[in-house]
Parts: sequence; C-alpha cells; structure tokens
Amino acid sequence: MLHNTWLIAKREYFERIRARSFIVMTVLIPTLMGGLLWGVGLASGKGKTSVSIAIVTPADGKVDPHFGFDLQDELAKHKHPKIEANVISPPSADTRQELQAEMNHKGLDGYLWVTPPAPGHATPGFEWKPKSKNYLNTQNELGESIRTVLTKEGLARSGLGAADVTTLMQPIDLDSSDAGKKDAADAAQASAYGLFFIMYFVIVFYGMNVARSIIEEKTSRIFEVLLATIKPEEMMAGKVLGVGAVGLTQVAIWLAAAAALSAPGLISLGSDMSFDLPVSNMIFFVSFFLLGYILYSGLAAALGAMASSEQELQQMNIFLMLPLIACSGVVFQVISDPDGMLAKVFSFIPFCTPLIMYVRIAVHQPPWWEIAVSLAGLVVTILAILWFAARVYRVGILMYGKKPNLPELLRWLKYS
Amino acid sequence: MPIVELQEVRKAYDTKIAVEDLSFKIESGTMFGLLGPNGSGKTSSIRMMIGITVPDSGSVTLFGQPFDRKNLIRVGYLPEERGLYKKMNVLDQLVFLGQLHGLDAATAKKRSLVWCERMEITEAIPKRTEELSKGMQQKIQFIASLLHEPDLIIMDEPFSGLDPVNATLLQDTLVDLRKEGKAVLFSTHRMDQVEKLCDEIALIASGQLLLSGSMREVKSTYPRNRVQIAFEGSDAFLKHPAIAEAKNYNGLAEIKLAPSSDLAAAANTILAEALSMARISRFEVVEPTLEEIFIERVTTANLASRNGGNHAA
Repeated sequence: MLHNTWLIAKREYFERIRARSFIVMTVLIPTLMGGLLWGVGLASGKGKTSVSIAIVTPADGKVDPHFGFDLQDELAKHKHPKIEANVISPPSADTRQELQAEMNHKGLDGYLWVTPPAPGHATPGFEWKPKSKNYLNTQNELGESIRTVLTKEGLARSGLGAADVTTLMQPIDLDSSDAGKKDAADAAQASAYGLFFIMYFVIVFYGMNVARSIIEEKTSRIFEVLLATIKPEEMMAGKVLGVGAVGLTQVAIWLAAAAALSAPGLISLGSDMSFDLPVSNMIFFVSFFLLGYILYSGLAAALGAMASSEQELQQMNIFLMLPLIACSGVVFQVISDPDGMLAKVFSFIPFCTPLIMYVRIAVHQPPWWEIAVSLAGLVVTILAILWFAARVYRVGILMYGKKPNLPELLRWLKYS
Repeated sequence: MPIVELQEVRKAYDTKIAVEDLSFKIESGTMFGLLGPNGSGKTSSIRMMIGITVPDSGSVTLFGQPFDRKNLIRVGYLPEERGLYKKMNVLDQLVFLGQLHGLDAATAKKRSLVWCERMEITEAIPKRTEELSKGMQQKIQFIASLLHEPDLIIMDEPFSGLDPVNATLLQDTLVDLRKEGKAVLFSTHRMDQVEKLCDEIALIASGQLLLSGSMREVKSTYPRNRVQIAFEGSDAFLKHPAIAEAKNYNGLAEIKLAPSSDLAAAANTILAEALSMARISRFEVVEPTLEEIFIERVTTANLASRNGGNHAA
C-alpha cells in the first residue's frame, strides 16, 4: 500500500522541515562556510586592490641609478593589485624610521630597500618590509618586476638597443586554451571535493536521523498504533523516504545558496573559488547521493531497530561510520589520481561506491563499464540491505530492553 | 457472525510459549473482558488479532473472513503502552492517525474536533502533545483509536492512570459504543470495572484459557459462600467453625464460608452468633467477586503447573 508509505513520509518530511534544528542547520552551515571562505580571502590580502610602497635605492654607483624608476614603471603595469611606488634616492640617515612611521600611521603598505650587491654577487640585495605578512600577491608582483627590470638592464649593458630590449621583453602570447583546461580541472577538483563532503555529511547526518527517529518511536511506543494498520516495511520505507527528502531539500538549498554566492557581481570569492558544475556531473551527484543515502539509511534503520536506546545506537554507529571514514581517508588520493589502483578498488566497494565513484567521475571521467559495474554492485547491495533491514525492523521494533546477539539476529531473519 | 474469532491459536517465541490452544469469539454489541495476570498472553493475543504478529498455528477470523490486512481499518486499537508523537501538534496528530485508518484529511479533522469536544479537551487542540498532561494524552490516543468509527474496538488497559472523572467519561463512551452495536474488547486486571461493564469474559493465565463465557454463567458456577457483616463490638464470632477465612477491615468483616451442603444455614448460624455479641448494621450473603474468582483460578492454575510439571512452559 503506497498510500501508507506516502503518509508516513509526508509526516516525517513536514515535521522535520518545520523543526527549529532544520532551519538552524540550513542557515548556519552555509553561513559558517561562507564566513570561512571570506575570512581566508581577507587574510590573504585579496580584498586589497591598490597598494602603495616605497623603493629606496642607494646612490653609490654600484646600483643602476635608473633602477628605482624602471621598477616604478614596471610595477605600474600591474593590476592585481595596483602598485603605486615612490622612489627615494638616496636615503638619509632617518629614512627607515620615517618609512616605519608612515607604515604605522599613514597609508604606506611596505617598502623595498635596495642594497649594493654583496661581494661576489652581480645583483643588488633586496629587503622587502611589508606592513603585515598578508601581502602575498604584492610580494609576487614585486619579485617578478624586479627580475624583469634586472634582465632589461643586463641586456642593455651587454649592448642591445633599447628598442630590441623592449621587443625581447614583450609579454609572450601563450596559447591559453591548455591553461584554461588546467583551471577547469582545478575547479572540478574543488567542486568534487566540496560535493564529496556534502554527500558525506548528509548521508551520515540523515542516516543517523533515520535510526534516531526509529528509536524515538520505539521508546514512545507510537509504532504499536501504527503497526495496527500498516506493515513494518511500509513504515520503514516511509521513514527512509521522508528523512531523505529532507536531506535533499537541505542540499538543494545549500547548492542554490552556493551558486548565488559565487555568481559574479554578488560576493565574488575569486575565480578559483567559483562553483563550476556541468549538468552531467549534477545528475551523477544526485543519483549517487540518492543511492548512497538509501544504502546507509537502510543500514541505519536496521541498527535503530536493533538498539533500544540512543546510547546503544552510539555504540553500533561504528558499522555505519567505518566505510565512510575510510572513504574520507582516501578521497585526497582519489582526487589527485582518479584512475589509480586505490581509486579503482574503492569505487568498486559498494559501501564506498557512492562517494568515491562520484568523485572519480567529477574529476576525470572513468570508462563507462566501470561506472556500470560499480552501479550494479551498489544496487544489488542496496536490495540486500533493504531486505535485511526490513526483516530486522519487523522483529526488532517489537523487542525492548535487550540487544540481540548474532544467533538471535539470524533467527530474526527467519521470522516471517 | 462473530466480529472476531480465535480458534486454537498458538504462538511461541524463542524462549517461551505466549499463547497455547486459545479459542474465543466476540459478537457485535458486546463488551468483552480479556483478563489475566501480567505476562499471561493478553497482549500477544491482541497482537495476533490485528496482525502485528502471526499465529504459529490456529486461525484468526475478523468480521467473518479469514484474517486480511485490509480489514484492519475497521479496527480501533488503544495499546497498553501509550505512544504519540511528542513534538507533533495534537490536531495534526489526530488527522495523521485518522488518515492511516483510511480517512481523508477533511473528515479526519472534522471528527477530531467533534471528539475533542466530547472528551472535553478542546483547549488541547492547538498544543503540542508533549505539553499535555498524561491523562490528556491518553484521551487523545483514545480518540485516535475511534476516529475511523471502527466496528471492533480493542482497548488495552484503557483506564489506567486516569482520575475517576475521566475514567467515567471514557467508560460511558465505551458503553455508548456498545449500544451502537460495536464490539468492544478490553483487557485489564481491574476486576471491578470488568464486573460492572463486561457482558462476556475470558480469563487466561500462562497463555491458556482458564475460563470463559458470559458474566452470569461464570458467576453462577461459583457458590454464594461469601458473607459481609458490618458491625460494632466484639469480633469473636469470626472464630465460628463454619468460617473458613475471615478478614476484619475495621468493623467490616469479609467472610468465606467453609464448604457445606447448606451454605444458607451456615450463614444464619453466624448471624445469630454475631448478634449475641455485637451490633450489626448490615449482613449480606454474596456471590464471590470476579476478583476472588480470578485470584482463585490463577493460583490453582499456578499450583497445578508447578506440581504437574508437564505443563507447556
């Protein structure tokens, strides 16, 4: 009777969606994640778009007198961030203190102190004093520009004309299609990783919810009323579906929020944090997510039916968590080597298939037959688990007080 | 046509036999008391009637047909262990349970409101179940088992935990339902209620039927060998040889007469003896109460099973 399953699922869904904990979780998790990303972005100095620095060069002839100004010109070409440089040459006795003071109280972000080449060195020494350690991008730009200027000067000294030097040092027009692919691969890895954890989290959280809600009904004894009209199988199916729908709703809200957040114009998290999901990937995600959820919630239902209290359930949790923990242990390896031995082995273990096979597909499409075989194994396992869970459930929910041992469990399976 | 009929039903679990060779039937318009000490197999029998468990052998017939799950929506069940969704709103809960019994949402809602009024708990309707008192929750569950107007009503200890006012309210409701022609089965060990309400009884102990039949039949098989005397003065008359057992509750003596061919004569000699030494305000010869029959039968059965040794246990 589909009607009963539907009623149970509907009740489960609406009661959970309305619960305060659902709203808190739905809002809190993305807020925390968003806050974290934003914090990381802020800490790495991403937020700063223009930087002002000072370049101090000695005037003793050992450093090219034009060096400061050439560097200034070179830096002006950069946009990320825009670097505005003042040249001070030669420094007076208290330049250092003045710069330090400007850095502390005024808008100066840092200064570059150039010293004459040490004996045996061709190039001058450079000392970079930023206001804080966060000016990573500025430091990169600075290093690059210094190298360019030194090369230009060297080339000029060896007799090349200024025009030739400029031609030589022109930026090379690299065919960027390959580089684009690399970016896409990075983005795919990042989103595969993100979705792996969403899947992991939701399976654990909502799988446990199925078990917990069964225990709750067991302790409140409501199921005795329910069982007077409906079958245990219908009850279990309704529960799994209802709780699963809540999980899907939550994930959908999160993904929508993530898409909105990473959309250009709203809150830009930078190109490397963008959320890039092809449709096929999305379909795989939803399919593997559903299969994984059904597998684990079926298992959780059986555990819930066997346990008679929350504490007992905690002890049995390990059966549920062990394969998932193993998955998260190997996921880095799988992402970096999606066709490696480890990735292949794990994607064929049914309890790991949903997570690991999905990650493989997201990072780098494996052969179709591998996907088909792993899916077949997964579906067979799910059917076996549901059969097992329904048996255990039917007997288990009428038992109180005592945890079954293995022989008893086997006898349960024989009851009809 | 009996509403429910059990025929030679047997159910065994791993370690013990819950019910053995149990047969009885309940007609419509009767109130049937299923009696027995704790663990005697009352709940096991009920569970088999409503398909939560299946008998190992024997048959259960519901509404004249072999057991079929689709008939279960004609049964209302109040389990001994009460259970409701704690966090759920009362009305939602009633509607949900009504829907499970085949009602549509609108009908379920309408009937819930009518019943809440009848049970005097309208103020509970918008509340969450966990905010209610235990008695109120019990009334909600009582309503839930009746919403779909079942023809067979099964109540496992329906009055436990209720104050006298509410117990009477539920009791009167059940009496009304019997008048409407419903069959009511209730299982209890509160003998006074059974004596007052039930037309038929079945007494089971250790999974076996000890006695069954109409209340009249059962009682008439027992001799009127009980005497109650309310008195003031000496209680020395309680030592009279015609008395097998006597208890004195502060001026109210309950006496069991020794077996005799003429119990009425024996009672008269005791009355004469009592009048000689005390002021008597009441003297009555009564049949044994159901409670006394219950205790006697259960104790005898226990002794038999202990001595016999070959009892199925």
